[in-house]
Amino acid sequence: MSILALEFPPYSHLFDWPTIWLDGTPLAINKTVLIYLAATAATMVLFGLAGRPRESLVPVGVQHVAESGVNFIENSVVMQTIGPDGRKFMPFLTSMFFFILFSNITEVIPFIQFPANGRMAIPITLALLVWVIYNVVGVKSQGLFGYLKNSIFPPDVPKVLYIIVTPIELVSTFVVRPFSLAIRLWANMVAGHLLLVTFAILTATLWDFFYVPAALPFVMLILMTAFEILVSLLQAFIFTILTAVYIGGSMHPAH
Amino acid sequence: MARRTLRLIATLGVASAVMLVAAGPAWAAGETIGGCVLEQVHHAEEEYGSLGAVEADEKAFKAFEEDLEGCVEAPSPILPELDEIIWGGLAFLILFAFMWWKGFPAVKRAMDARSEKIRADLDAADTAKADAMRTKSEYEAQLAEAKTAAAAIIDEARGQADQLRQDLQARAEADIAEQRTRAAADIESSRRQAIDDLRTEVAAIAVGAAERVVGASLDADVHRSLIDGYIDEVAGAGSNGDGS
Amino acid sequence: MLSLLAQTAPGEFLDGLKAIGAGLGYGLAAVGPGVGIGLVVGNAITSMARQPESAGMVRTTMFLGIAFTEALALIGFVVFILLLP
Repeated sequence: MSILALEFPPYSHLFDWPTIWLDGTPLAINKTVLIYLAATAATMVLFGLAGRPRESLVPVGVQHVAESGVNFIENSVVMQTIGPDGRKFMPFLTSMFFFILFSNITEVIPFIQFPANGRMAIPITLALLVWVIYNVVGVKSQGLFGYLKNSIFPPDVPKVLYIIVTPIELVSTFVVRPFSLAIRLWANMVAGHLLLVTFAILTATLWDFFYVPAALPFVMLILMTAFEILVSLLQAFIFTILTAVYIGGSMHPAH
Repeated sequence: MARRTLRLIATLGVASAVMLVAAGPAWAAGETIGGCVLEQVHHAEEEYGSLGAVEADEKAFKAFEEDLEGCVEAPSPILPELDEIIWGGLAFLILFAFMWWKGFPAVKRAMDARSEKIRADLDAADTAKADAMRTKSEYEAQLAEAKTAAAAIIDEARGQADQLRQDLQARAEADIAEQRTRAAADIESSRRQAIDDLRTEVAAIAVGAAERVVGASLDADVHRSLIDGYIDEVAGAGSNGDGS
Repeated sequence: MLSLLAQTAPGEFLDGLKAIGAGLGYGLAAVGPGVGIGLVVGNAITSMARQPESAGMVRTTMFLGIAFTEALALIGFVVFILLLP
């Protein structure tokens, strides 16, 4: 669409990527899939390099990143939300954190400049996976009946309020949770990408028109790039910590 | 570090040049969806006469559909819009340079500090382990020493106990022997006494009896000698019969 | 004004209404969460300043609160995207 001679590409041009390979099959590959594959590879390479056997126990280089990440997940996510018996979810949470982080951060990397989580595919898949995991954990640790009772009829609520609370809890625990988890990640990435594109196109248009005013949106673009790096980290963290909160909630109903 | 930075910038420059050439088609198609669709429809109408003719021809219809899909999807399969590549990339590079300048030393410092801390911890653990080993061997030596000392003490005590027992036994045996001799002497003296008493008694009785029988014909001294002689005879026969 | 609107093509008129709705919808959806996130972060900072030793726990909880509050604004944003012509 064109606003005051500003040629803004249609939304679909920014998010719908044509197929590159295996067109027409369910395994069709486009840019989003490539970014996800690269994010998987990057996570594997990071931990492969960090976990390589060494002579000394003193960490070097990239090992710091992996170790700090694991420490961070353990201290700030698992210990704060599930407790010591949540350690068995550490591998899942850590790999999910780094995978989401790497597929988010492509948003600012030149020539890629697209957050793979700006497509709904992986966010909703991960969210449904989380949904399955926290329900299975809840049924396992409280029994089917106990889990349903604790999640639909929360304790410490006056009996009368169950008329209001029960439907809300039923919908929010079993229906809304996975979608809000997925939409949070997806919408943040879409919004970030649109912001970056808007400021880039604004800069380009002003540059064609006259050089000096282009500096204003350009400074904004630099700040937005920094902000989007922060958002990528934060969204990976929030997705992980919400997963941990849901798992912790179905593991220890009292809290 | 300067050379590495230069190499990085050069690589990025070459890569961006290649990408910009490759992204040419992306730039050409940067239009709105509606405009693009209209253009495709006009194009098809010019080529085949009308849209009906396009629908009739299967191959042409497929090509037309693909053209329309091109209006909806991003123009280039890999690269974003050219403006975004240029300005976004530039912004990223500036940010990256700033981070490299300001942020990287801090990160490096933190990483070094972490390395140093872990190394110090490991060293401390090694030292503590060596200390513990040394203390342990010291304790073991002391323990062995104490064991030998205890064994020596026990041996000595056992010797002393043996000595004491032997002494006591010897003394007891001596006591027993002494008491036995004393008892034998007592018995002997008692016997002698008893014999003497008996002799006197018997003599008196015999004399009394004899007097009664014989009357006063004999004097007491003659009786006594007669009776003594008799008793000696009896005693000699008695002691022979005892066998003592 | 209305006669001017009536002169435009019906499709464009609807598009214009959609754009107005999208803009208004997103703007209104952002008001509540904006205030909410402000409250969450402000109180978190207060408690962090009062008890710096519990800053880690407060920060984690603050991010959780932000995430839940932000969800409302994001739903508004999704509606905005869906209404885009």
